[in-house]
Amino acid sequence: MKAPVVTGVGAVTPLGRDIRTTRDRLAAGACAIADVEAPEVPVRPLRSPAARIGTFTTEPEMPRSKARRLDRGSQYAVVAIRQCLADAGYDVKGREDDMGILLGSGSAGAGPLTDLERQMAVESPEAASPFLFPYTVANAPASLAAIELGVRGPNVTITQKDPAGLNAVFYARMLLADGRASALVAGGADEWNLTYHLAYERLHATRTQSTPGYALSEGCAVLLLEDEDSARERGARVLARLASIVSTGRPVSPHRRRTRATDVAETLGEALVDAGIEPDAVGRFDPRRVGLLHLSANGVPWMDEAERKAVELLFGPHPPPLRTIKHQIGENPVVGALQLALSALALGEDPSLGAAVVNVLGAGGNQITAVLTAP
Amino acid sequence: MPQRSAVVTGLGAVTSLGNDLASSWAGLVAGRCGIGPITVFDPTGFRTNLAAEVRALPDAWIDGRLRRRLSRSDVLGLTAAREALAGSGIDLSAEDPARIAVVLGGGVSGLLDAENYYRDLLSKGFRRARPTRALNHPPDQTTDRIGELWGFCGPRATITTACSSSATAIGYAADLIRHGIADVVVTGGADSLGRLTHGGFNALRAVDPDPCRPFDRNRKGLTIGEAAGILVLEEEERAHKRGAPVRARFLGYGVTADAHHMTQPEPSGVAGARTITACLKAARLSPEDVDYVNAHGTATQQNDSAETASIKLALGERAHRVPVSSSKSMLGHCLCSAGGIEAVVTVLTVETGILPPTIHYEEPDPECDLDYVPNTAREARVRVALSNSFAFGGNSTVVAFGRA
Repeated sequence: MKAPVVTGVGAVTPLGRDIRTTRDRLAAGACAIADVEAPEVPVRPLRSPAARIGTFTTEPEMPRSKARRLDRGSQYAVVAIRQCLADAGYDVKGREDDMGILLGSGSAGAGPLTDLERQMAVESPEAASPFLFPYTVANAPASLAAIELGVRGPNVTITQKDPAGLNAVFYARMLLADGRASALVAGGADEWNLTYHLAYERLHATRTQSTPGYALSEGCAVLLLEDEDSARERGARVLARLASIVSTGRPVSPHRRRTRATDVAETLGEALVDAGIEPDAVGRFDPRRVGLLHLSANGVPWMDEAERKAVELLFGPHPPPLRTIKHQIGENPVVGALQLALSALALGEDPSLGAAVVNVLGAGGNQITAVLTAP
Repeated sequence: MPQRSAVVTGLGAVTSLGNDLASSWAGLVAGRCGIGPITVFDPTGFRTNLAAEVRALPDAWIDGRLRRRLSRSDVLGLTAAREALAGSGIDLSAEDPARIAVVLGGGVSGLLDAENYYRDLLSKGFRRARPTRALNHPPDQTTDRIGELWGFCGPRATITTACSSSATAIGYAADLIRHGIADVVVTGGADSLGRLTHGGFNALRAVDPDPCRPFDRNRKGLTIGEAAGILVLEEEERAHKRGAPVRARFLGYGVTADAHHMTQPEPSGVAGARTITACLKAARLSPEDVDYVNAHGTATQQNDSAETASIKLALGERAHRVPVSSSKSMLGHCLCSAGGIEAVVTVLTVETGILPPTIHYEEPDPECDLDYVPNTAREARVRVALSNSFAFGGNSTVVAFGRA
């Protein structure tokens, strides 16, 4: 399949309102994970922290008056997508039918859903707001962004617990290869939600003072993927090439976080081979071929351990430079897309890295691994 | 474009007309209405108490321990997937599980469970609310459950573009086969009734107090429904090689955005026509090739007139010679599984040459002036059929199937 190129990136995260601030704060060791002290917490203090975006304004990308009716996930999406297009120097005008937006999400729409449910349960069925209902769908961020930008090409939202952002990239590659668009914004958008937080906490999935686990997060991270010929034709700056992306599932129940090192290694290895990085006779890969490996590690001990072992199986005792960011920025389907966007930035600035790998493991046995190479 | 192509070798359905493919299809051909009073939640206080509800949940085949963890959507989806896999005749023990993918559409999914959790949280307090019920809501549950139950290791995705989810899922599934990433894909969708979705459409005044009347002049809105419609897509060459029961060929799909409004369709029909045209282009078809359109046909004033205009714009003169019918008149609007169950209906139409009708059709609307196969099924020569799906957010998908 023809490899698309990355020509722009954008992100709104708990560590910054744009991707470069996020990158710099990550590098400086900043951590966005903190106790949740929200007025909406009705029951008791939450035991597990989260990485949340506090006060947020959509300006200058979108007037506040217009953004007011949008759910948080959609606000993040509109801002990050506009930043991404600006970063890529991409003017939508005249290309409306030839570009589209694909976002992955885990619980987009959950905020308006709970608000609507509260109206119906506490007041009456009649009290359900017709203005709120349209934002309860998971596709609100991608669809609203398309309406805002006037983009009429493919518009798809994919729900998956952790790799959803990379799944959008996976589908975007097929759509671009088939010429359904010449440019697609792909990534993830999601908002933190109290009801989900309470539920995950009760299942002991999230990290507390006494138990390990992950911290929930929110935000939006996107990449502009373009057909290479179209990108070159418009004189675009190419950050990286999406050399391969592999998606696999394993028979594990939906919320269970369980995986085997050999399974993780198999998917990772397949992605490397697809990207033209071949193993030696005994199946080991040369770590010098990979300048950066973004791990999925999020604080769930057995998952992190399986991933560490998988890397050892593939590269031996001296792995390529490894990066983990979820202990700083939390876990949700956006973070994999953020890691991919950060990798593209890194390759754009230092092509000598050669290749950057992003691995995302999800609950329910899902795994997606992507490999970017220098242009 | 890659050379590989996809065919349909298995079909499964659970609808308000029946708990399997045969009974659902028999109901559709007989023009039977699956709409009746809602029993899964208390509909008091809403504009209507009607929906197309699956009457007896077909969960007897599922192990009790697993059953307790499943949402209503999961049960519908797993049951239809079981039927589709059995019908395809694929010997799963001889297959490489890494080459089998699962791509479904969903959205409402286990929302009713999550709603009940949230209501318990509000009324009974934190300690007495069962959080596992909330976690049945994410729409990828059904996809992962299918992967888990049959041990599939190929790619998975759950498309959540509201009412076009399952149609887009079928497109994604076919792309996996065409690009050589998978050989077999379980696709389509499952979705079930939720208090909140019913309440939301009520609040939008988009529901008809009576069973919906697509394309009728006096239509007042939709009736929500629930269903699972699952297709087994398979790479064509290997399907023929193993002597599989090929029921139809997947010809292509179009996926576009209206970029118009979150809930209103683009009224002139230009946006919908663009999706139909994108589908015809991908499938290398011309308007003259189209013999039947399974309409989105929700029975809202706006959808039915805009969709009619879209069909006319995209098919030109041919539009007046192409029968168009809305299965939603019998199955209700099954929201995120609508594209799946309607794709199943479209495949059966191609296979049998029987056009399912649009029932409750009484008075023609000057703005809806096509042949809607009113009230009675009829036979026709169907070589190529389209299925339209238009959604909240202006997410539109059209899929095309052709005779095997």
